[in-house]
Amino acid sequence: MALNTSTIISIVFLAAMPFLGGILMGVDRRLTARMQNRMGPPLIQPFYDVLKLWAKEPYIANNIQPLMAFMYLGFAMLAASFVAFQLDLLLMLFTTALADICLIVAAFSAKSPYSYIGGRREFLVMLSYEPVLLLVEIAISLVTGTFIIKGIRAYETPLLLLLPAAYVVMQVVLVVEMKKSPFDVSGSAHAHQELVRGVYTEFSGYTMALVEVGHWVKVVTMLAIVGLFWAPNPFIGTALALALFVGAILIDNVYPRLSWQRMLKTTWTIGFGLVIVNLLALSFGGVI
Amino acid sequence: MAIYGQTLVALTVGLPVVSGLASLVLPGKTIRSVLVSVTALVLIGSSVSLLGISEFTYNPGHIYETAVLVLDFALLFYFLYVGMKSKSLPVIGLSLLQLVPVAYFEFVLHGVKVENILLVDRLSVFLVLIVNVVGSVVVVYALSYMEEHEHHLQLKESRQGRFFFFMLLLLGAMNGMVYSNSLYWLYFFWEITSLCCYELIRHDGTAEANTNAVTALWMALIGGVAFIGTMFVGYYTVGSIALTKIMTAQLTPILLVGFAFLALAAFSKSAQFPFHSWLLGAMVAPTPVSALLHSSTMVNAGIYLILRIAPALKGTYLSLVIAAVGAVTFTLTAILAIRQKVSKRVLAFSTIGNLGLIIMCAGINTSLSYTAAVILLFFHSISKGLLFMGAGVVENRINSRNIEDWEGLIGKLPFTTTVMLVGMATMFLPPFGMLLGKWVAVDAIISTPLAFALPIIILICIGSAATTFFWGKWLGYLTVTPMTAQKQVKETLPTPYRFAMMGLLAVSIVFSAGAPYIINNFVNPLIGEAYKLSVTSTLMEVNTGIGSFLVGPFWIATVAMVLLGVMITKKKGGVIVPAYLGGENVPEKPLMFFTTADGEAEASVSTVMLQSEIDEASLNKFAVIIGVLLIIVMFLVEVI
Amino acid sequence: MGLIQKSQLKSPWVLHFDCGSCNGCDIEILAALTPKFDLERFGIVNIGDPKQADVLLVTGPANKRNHRVLKNLYNQMPQPKLVIAVGTCACTGGVFHNCPNVLGGVDNVVPVDVYVPGCAVRPEQIIDAVVLALNKLAGLAQSEEEE
Repeated sequence: MALNTSTIISIVFLAAMPFLGGILMGVDRRLTARMQNRMGPPLIQPFYDVLKLWAKEPYIANNIQPLMAFMYLGFAMLAASFVAFQLDLLLMLFTTALADICLIVAAFSAKSPYSYIGGRREFLVMLSYEPVLLLVEIAISLVTGTFIIKGIRAYETPLLLLLPAAYVVMQVVLVVEMKKSPFDVSGSAHAHQELVRGVYTEFSGYTMALVEVGHWVKVVTMLAIVGLFWAPNPFIGTALALALFVGAILIDNVYPRLSWQRMLKTTWTIGFGLVIVNLLALSFGGVI
Repeated sequence: MAIYGQTLVALTVGLPVVSGLASLVLPGKTIRSVLVSVTALVLIGSSVSLLGISEFTYNPGHIYETAVLVLDFALLFYFLYVGMKSKSLPVIGLSLLQLVPVAYFEFVLHGVKVENILLVDRLSVFLVLIVNVVGSVVVVYALSYMEEHEHHLQLKESRQGRFFFFMLLLLGAMNGMVYSNSLYWLYFFWEITSLCCYELIRHDGTAEANTNAVTALWMALIGGVAFIGTMFVGYYTVGSIALTKIMTAQLTPILLVGFAFLALAAFSKSAQFPFHSWLLGAMVAPTPVSALLHSSTMVNAGIYLILRIAPALKGTYLSLVIAAVGAVTFTLTAILAIRQKVSKRVLAFSTIGNLGLIIMCAGINTSLSYTAAVILLFFHSISKGLLFMGAGVVENRINSRNIEDWEGLIGKLPFTTTVMLVGMATMFLPPFGMLLGKWVAVDAIISTPLAFALPIIILICIGSAATTFFWGKWLGYLTVTPMTAQKQVKETLPTPYRFAMMGLLAVSIVFSAGAPYIINNFVNPLIGEAYKLSVTSTLMEVNTGIGSFLVGPFWIATVAMVLLGVMITKKKGGVIVPAYLGGENVPEKPLMFFTTADGEAEASVSTVMLQSEIDEASLNKFAVIIGVLLIIVMFLVEVI
Repeated sequence: MGLIQKSQLKSPWVLHFDCGSCNGCDIEILAALTPKFDLERFGIVNIGDPKQADVLLVTGPANKRNHRVLKNLYNQMPQPKLVIAVGTCACTGGVFHNCPNVLGGVDNVVPVDVYVPGCAVRPEQIIDAVVLALNKLAGLAQSEEEE
């Protein structure tokens, strides 16, 4: 691989992803606080949290758990690199699933009832957003004829104009991915403590720091995919992604948590329904 | 060269039969072990040697033709006898439905004459490789398993001779089947696999085993009847029952009906809806039987047939219906697998589902989808063989088939559980071969017209999410490790177990990592016979023109990540702390907590089944109804 | 002050344990987390999981039923950690002093870093206590550096 400009940009983007994610989480906490009429923590609060966690006394549940926590971050980064280097979108989705499995195995391996139930719910979360995201990606490639992000970006018409419903569906996916209410059954940082910390319960110190950064990377990756909806102009694309980001925070603050059954029903009906209608419309319009 | 090829063909078909007979006759455990091991080695060796052979046809001669004829009638009379003995109307009816037409076909029409009885091409060689490599490993594994099994049952007299006879016969019949160009010979070997399957399912002789074996038999006999339908169609329209002639003939509605019959036979063998119940019932047999049926033989016969006829059906509605049957099966079984409690039932549903996926790919019938089907077939055989062997060992060790008893198994059986974990990962996670196949399949679907693709896309989206769910939850459940098990027990296993499991595990990983090589050297030449090539693969990547799967970098990244992870976590180290149990942990007992009145209880977790959300009975009914409807549509669609 | 130490001071996550208080102090702790006082300004999060907590807020007197839970939660918190006794009961046993089954202040069970008297304490006091505890943490760290 020759070290040309675009490769350097890709590497820089990949390296910047965790930091972007951290800042975004800071923005999230700040915005949430403002919506609740509070001041909120500093913008770089997430970095303080992670650094603090990293330096804490290492408490682990067993010898597999730390490795799995690291693999969660690792595969999240690998999935992110598919976006950064503009490679295969479908493979990115499968890699994200792999990262999730690592997280769940880490949670399960502790044999703690709380993290175990959190992990089970994490599976249900995967079950509710994965097929929908897969469908959105397939819709994108049906329009553009390729799964490779470089090819999708080269498509001339902005995807938002052709797939507006898929964009709306991405809002749902993003809420699930960010573990926000109403879809935060598996574990959250908020006052819902019936499962203590859900899937995160048994992480502590540096394992928690790894998982936290992994989560940031996943959110940024998802936002980058939203950005594809207006690929010809990256600024509009970024704006679209940020709009969904703010939308997710708004939804988080407005809606109470749903049970997993209703989460599944909601994501599947909205997700499948909207994308199918959109595809049929495009088909009748002769676009695909 | 031709002699060399013919020898290999004779060896792969004849040797299993001969050594099967020998194991039936010769007494003694040592002789049998040596016999089976040597046969396995020769089979693997000759199937690998066959890869170097170019396509050739072959006529074994009159004696063999007569022998096949006589044996076929003997077989049909035996089925009739089985039907009478078990008072099973379907078996009697279906055997008569074969006996009479076959007699008419042979003695009145003299229709079984075919110029080239055997045809060895890329597809058959590929299938032979799968059958013999995976099959042989399973048979070697069975050596240990049957010892333990009979020890458990406390049999006075060993019945292993009979067992290995049918196991080896099944391998031989499978090999014979994939070489056959004559429909009659194909039909004959097909019926032998049905026989072996019947005999192996009822091997333990319990009432349940007998019932399930009869069910499996009559479902398999439907396939036999369908074959005869095709033979008549072939005879009256093309004037020959050679597959090569039928495949290249001008497609007429009548001929399409003939192909529909073959598809029906394939569905019955591959346990597609509505025939899925026999494969679920087959798990009463000793586990090596399941391992053999699910991975390399029996169900693969149906897949082979579909793959064989698919190129002739390009662009027909029949092909689309075949795809629909596969897609529906894939999705519904994935959902049903979530709620299964019995380990082998989960595996069985996964087998049926994956076969559905393969059949769907073959039905979509483009170059890309056909590639996906072949890749899936290859990797599915390896992984499923591995998983069944692991499940069998676990079953013999913990005396339970219920996966709720598998909690934290990695603490109790570290070696076997690791094999199972990797086996499960190879079924649904990147960067393993099965996922590569699924990935190609998705690429294939989106390159078809939307009106057809949309329903299939939705089925695939739901099905693959459900697949991730049921594998993931099971995989996770095995790793629920009690802290006390940190000092892991050392697991002792007999050599054949270790050899078989390590062997397939290594094969699975090496071939997954070398997937581009496999595609270049084995899959693409096979596709090239019928389609224009659409997948290009270099050492590092597999490219479909729609997407690119970076196999090499993915593996390198994964390995690097594991090494880095081990380094960092080693450096960070850590103190092992008991789980959070609301602060009520019992000191010195990491899994216990104080309950009311200072009682002590162990914290335990149960696996998630969604028992109340998924209604198995009505889903099953729905599956049968939709299966029957689709088959009716399959025959009606020719009229269009 | 290093980056890590700054982070430790900027991000105290709190575990709240009620040893059997009258709930007066508990409500004040919750009040401190509401928008009016907004503890999150200082990076304080009510985490509820000892394995991720830095500060243990204890209300109510230690007693014979739950001292082992308190001890266990304390043991499950990784270093560096701080304990704040919130309210008179937690400091000395308060009105429950010398009652049967009551052991007295929580310092009978776990080492306490900051005592917050009051019945019930005010949210401002709780915030002040956390700041004091963090100062103690910073001081400790500095003296270690000097050595």
